[in-house]
Amino acid sequence: MSKLEEVSAAVENGKAKIVAGLVQEALDEGIDPAEILNVGMIGAMAVVGEKFKNNEIFVPEMLIAARAMKKGVDVLKPHLMSSGVESAGKVIIGTVIGDLHDIGKNLVTMMIEGAGFEVLDLGVDVPPEKFIETMKANPDCKIVALSALLTTTMPSITNTIEAIKEAGLRDTVKIMVGGAPVTQAFADEIGADGYSEDAASAAELAKKLAAEVYA
Amino acid sequence: MIIIGEKINGSIPSVARAIADRDEAHIRNLAIKQSEAGATYIDVCASVDKAIEVETMKWLIDIVQDAVDTPIAVDSPDPHVIVECLPFCKKEGLVNSVSMEGDKVETIFPVIANTKWECVALLSDDTGIPQTAEKRLSVFADLMVKAKEYGIAPNRLHIDPLIEMLCTSEDGINMVTSVMREIRDQYPTIHITGAVSNISFNLPVRKIINQAFTVLSMANGLDSAIFDPLNRDLLGMIYATEALLGMDDYCMEYIGAYRSGLIGPLPKA
Repeated sequence: MSKLEEVSAAVENGKAKIVAGLVQEALDEGIDPAEILNVGMIGAMAVVGEKFKNNEIFVPEMLIAARAMKKGVDVLKPHLMSSGVESAGKVIIGTVIGDLHDIGKNLVTMMIEGAGFEVLDLGVDVPPEKFIETMKANPDCKIVALSALLTTTMPSITNTIEAIKEAGLRDTVKIMVGGAPVTQAFADEIGADGYSEDAASAAELAKKLAAEVYA
Repeated sequence: MIIIGEKINGSIPSVARAIADRDEAHIRNLAIKQSEAGATYIDVCASVDKAIEVETMKWLIDIVQDAVDTPIAVDSPDPHVIVECLPFCKKEGLVNSVSMEGDKVETIFPVIANTKWECVALLSDDTGIPQTAEKRLSVFADLMVKAKEYGIAPNRLHIDPLIEMLCTSEDGINMVTSVMREIRDQYPTIHITGAVSNISFNLPVRKIINQAFTVLSMANGLDSAIFDPLNRDLLGMIYATEALLGMDDYCMEYIGAYRSGLIGPLPKA
């Protein structure tokens, strides 16, 4: 097994304890940090996401894979910066105002990070102003992800998008929405740019939207 | 959970026959199956006439060691037999058992003093099984004095507070669980064990009682148990309980047991 495959296997199997060491060994072997990130880690997380989507693995197995990836990224970060590797893009994410659920949103955050994005997680019960303020402070952010878990808080997604429109920022970002009661039909109705039904698909969606934005 | 696999015991009729017929394959199979199911120790108990107990133990121990790497729990009511059998074991395992009855402690403890052998200790003495928590804890205190005397650290001891039949108990398992809690408070690193199936004697659908007992006992400090690890329902209940007690990071042990087919519905043939 090549060092890169070892990194990949360790991430996929959530072996947080050995990932950092393997990444360091890969660096010592002279493997390009970007390749370690893209092939060894993001590639592994894509496999994990696919398995999760197909009901082959359980949520904790996805969690430990993400945790393992984080350990590797910590080692990789300084090397990525010095070799000028850019992130896949910046994503602002949050659960909309009135809604306190964060598990799904956190899973999406992890998977999007796993896809190589930098994620600004605003937490739960986030008012529209907070999204707008963060967007203004991060003009390089091209994707905003809104989550709601209740039918009663779904209108907050609509209101947040309206507020972003009113602030004149709607055209600067792609907006993706999700959460248990959210559907593609709802996403279409409120003019969101994308919807996905689970965390793994959300990461794919983010990649797709980013490709459109940066094209 | 420290699992002491109970299946190689001459008091089980099929095993008694295998011993009488010197049916090596039968014993070997029991060792492999229990080891695959995650047994920490394979208990070996001959349950034969005293005259042939040591040689029978040796025959059993040799087969188990040839089949698996899992350490042995050397099980005999006679401490002198145990002492004779320890040298047969390639690995230091578990002595099953001592109590404060007769010369058991004085026979066993000096022999295992400077070793890594662990030891099951029952909370009974020459007066029998004490019927109050206070008295059992007093036997426990006596036992710990002896352990200290021989330099046997608490984490090498598996204290069996003695599980008696639920059907004749007046307070369910409250007395025993209070003993477990007190022991755990006094010695955080000690092991607390028990023969899980004793609780359900003379009651219908024993496995339900056994499972409920195991769950409740684990919540009160039980971290070692003597049972059949091939009992998928009980094993599943143990994995689930460990996860519920916060002892299973990310539920990975539970998921792992499921993935390796140890718990849950049997895969369709």
